[in-house]
Amino acid sequence: MKTFGVKSAPITMEVFSDYQCPACRGFFENTLRYLINDYVASGKVYLIHRDFPLPMHSYSMDAARWANAAARIGRFETVDAALFDNQDKWTKDGSMEQYIAAALGPADFKRVQKLVAGCLTQTPGNTAAAQTNHTCELDTFIQQDVALGKQVPVNSTPTIVITYKGQRYPPMSGIFTWPIMKQYLDSLMSQ
Amino acid sequence: MPDSKSNIGKILLTIGRIALAVIFIVAAYAKLKPQAPVPWSMGSMRVSLSMFAMQVDSYQLLPPAIVSPAAHFLPPFELFIGLWLLSGIALRYAALVTSLLLTVFFAVMVRSYFLGLEINCGCFGPGERLGPMTLLRDGSLLALAIAVTIGAFLLNRRRNATSPANTTEAPSLG
Repeated sequence: MKTFGVKSAPITMEVFSDYQCPACRGFFENTLRYLINDYVASGKVYLIHRDFPLPMHSYSMDAARWANAAARIGRFETVDAALFDNQDKWTKDGSMEQYIAAALGPADFKRVQKLVAGCLTQTPGNTAAAQTNHTCELDTFIQQDVALGKQVPVNSTPTIVITYKGQRYPPMSGIFTWPIMKQYLDSLMSQ
Repeated sequence: MPDSKSNIGKILLTIGRIALAVIFIVAAYAKLKPQAPVPWSMGSMRVSLSMFAMQVDSYQLLPPAIVSPAAHFLPPFELFIGLWLLSGIALRYAALVTSLLLTVFFAVMVRSYFLGLEINCGCFGPGERLGPMTLLRDGSLLALAIAVTIGAFLLNRRRNATSPANTTEAPSLG
């Protein structure tokens, strides 16, 4: 599961994100990290990552595939952070594999590599890419997220959608700083 | 003939100021109203203003310490301007303040657009993407506000020129 925290948290936040989008990286590093360490850890927020790879980014889809494969073995958090932390490096040539391998360790990397085999785009950095171009199971999860995003509708990334007490609030796009987002979440919970 | 010209000018000025007034009142309402199907309350307004603060924050222009006060000030101020324009009292000053405010809004929007920030406009509540159409709309509003300002100042000057005591401020509209 591409989620953080407990499902019973009063606030559910869905983040539609693209691993190659610089604004998504900024949002992850400067806001979501604090959110995860604070409000997710204390059970106030249930955070859901939704993949929304933009067609203009050539490596976004592969990055989402790695993240989804890691989610299958319960290591999503690690790969999610590794992809954003090293975004400026792998976006040059798509060589994300080495950063994922370093973050996961050999045993888990092998398991994830097996899951993405046959799914990845052919690039010099992708040793896990196979010659076949068959339908990849991981793509189904990504396409489900994209379909949800289109319903919102998501026009750009990152876009957040917040649900509190069963009420869904309008989507918001852009980078928000943690102190301002915290105020918003507090105002929701004190409503 | 000059009288009919003057009357047309006054009518256009009235239409312009009422249009601006309605737009400002609607903009304030959109930011203050509950953003989910919940009843109006102080709590719902706090949520709406905090949500507007997120939109102000996404422009990446103000430090967090200023974002929240600015976001809590702007919607009531827009409401005040809308009501002021609607009243027609000291119209030239109301129109001038409106023009200045719209100039700031427009400049900030143009900056964000050309920086490539993919954000919500926040102009009429959440959910509206900042793009060419929002720039066109706000640019048109600014043009209208400037036209109303110039019209109000011209009208006041003409009124003062024809008034027997033309050195004193006209207490009436405009």
